[in-house]
Amino acid sequence: SGELYCSLPNPRNVRFESVNMKNVLHWSAPEGTGDGVLYKVKYSVYGVGKWIRKPECRNINRTWCDLSSETSDYEEQYYASVKAFLNGMCSDWMETTRFNPLTDTKIDPPMVSVSSTETSISIILTAPEKWKRSPEGESVSLLRVYPGLQYNVSVLNKKTKKRWFFSVSNNTLVVPWLEPGTAYCVSAQIYVTTPLLHSGFSKEHCVATLKDKTA
Amino acid sequence: TAGNKIFHFGPCRIAMSVTEIRSGFTAIKANIQARDPIKTLSILSYPHSLHKVKSSDRCCIIHRLFNFYVDKVFKHCKTEDSYINRKISSIANSFLSVKRKLGQCHEQNKCLCGQGSAEKFQQILANYEGLNVTSAAIKSLGELDILLDWME
Repeated sequence: SGELYCSLPNPRNVRFESVNMKNVLHWSAPEGTGDGVLYKVKYSVYGVGKWIRKPECRNINRTWCDLSSETSDYEEQYYASVKAFLNGMCSDWMETTRFNPLTDTKIDPPMVSVSSTETSISIILTAPEKWKRSPEGESVSLLRVYPGLQYNVSVLNKKTKKRWFFSVSNNTLVVPWLEPGTAYCVSAQIYVTTPLLHSGFSKEHCVATLKDKTA
Repeated sequence: TAGNKIFHFGPCRIAMSVTEIRSGFTAIKANIQARDPIKTLSILSYPHSLHKVKSSDRCCIIHRLFNFYVDKVFKHCKTEDSYINRKISSIANSFLSVKRKLGQCHEQNKCLCGQGSAEKFQQILANYEGLNVTSAAIKSLGELDILLDWME
């Protein structure tokens, strides 16, 4: 295919980095090459015979390429590959391991919103959305992708430092029998039992229960 | 056991330790898939994805696939790595127990096989027999997540 003489060191650590199924190919520059290296990228669907070039990632000098669109069907699995060029020389094609968007993506923490009464707090949890091609595209909650998705919720009494943990499947939780006029901080994590996936905990959302009017 | 989940495959209700199988596979996935250089062929997904199987054919396909993995795949997946071998035999044992349960359901005539499932399974066997035994077995093992993703 008219390839040049390929003695350039290879791109290193070629891998997919995926969050909420936004699937981006990343790699490190070949050892000792400094500036001026250009790259091209191709990908393939596992079990299908051909490699497909990614035009937007041809002759690029950055070391990443967004393949979310090309790998959006999470019923398929994929490989991607990168080749480096410098001063008329090229490297070998360097491939990823087999990428399964369903099991190999990372999940962001859920969105948490809290409100309170005198003796209870209400927590509403929202799972992140799957990556979508454009802002106008249809929003797909990761809840639809992972039907077994659950939430682990932590509730901290800021005064007593006492903490409770809850595991819930639906997206609302009411914590009753709390102390009036007290600050509580809530943080939540997504947990999928199979395939085994879990997000980090969200940042804390604090709210104070209303003061006891009768006191 | 931990992570047991009830699956409904057509009329068959099968308890399966899918979390255990998943974690066992996750531990060996990179190693096993790296031993499979053939990216242009899939045993389970060629020419059509398992997701194209009609729901009425699910039970039969799953019953035959568990037989396939127990009878034709695991026993040909010996590696030089004892850790990998232990994980494979743990997965194999889980499959064996599910295979028995599916067999019992099948014997009660509740897991019938139509033409669609017969054709799909014939294709899987043809893909398998198109390679030498070890390559076919390693490739099939490397596709376990395809089976699990579809089942779930």
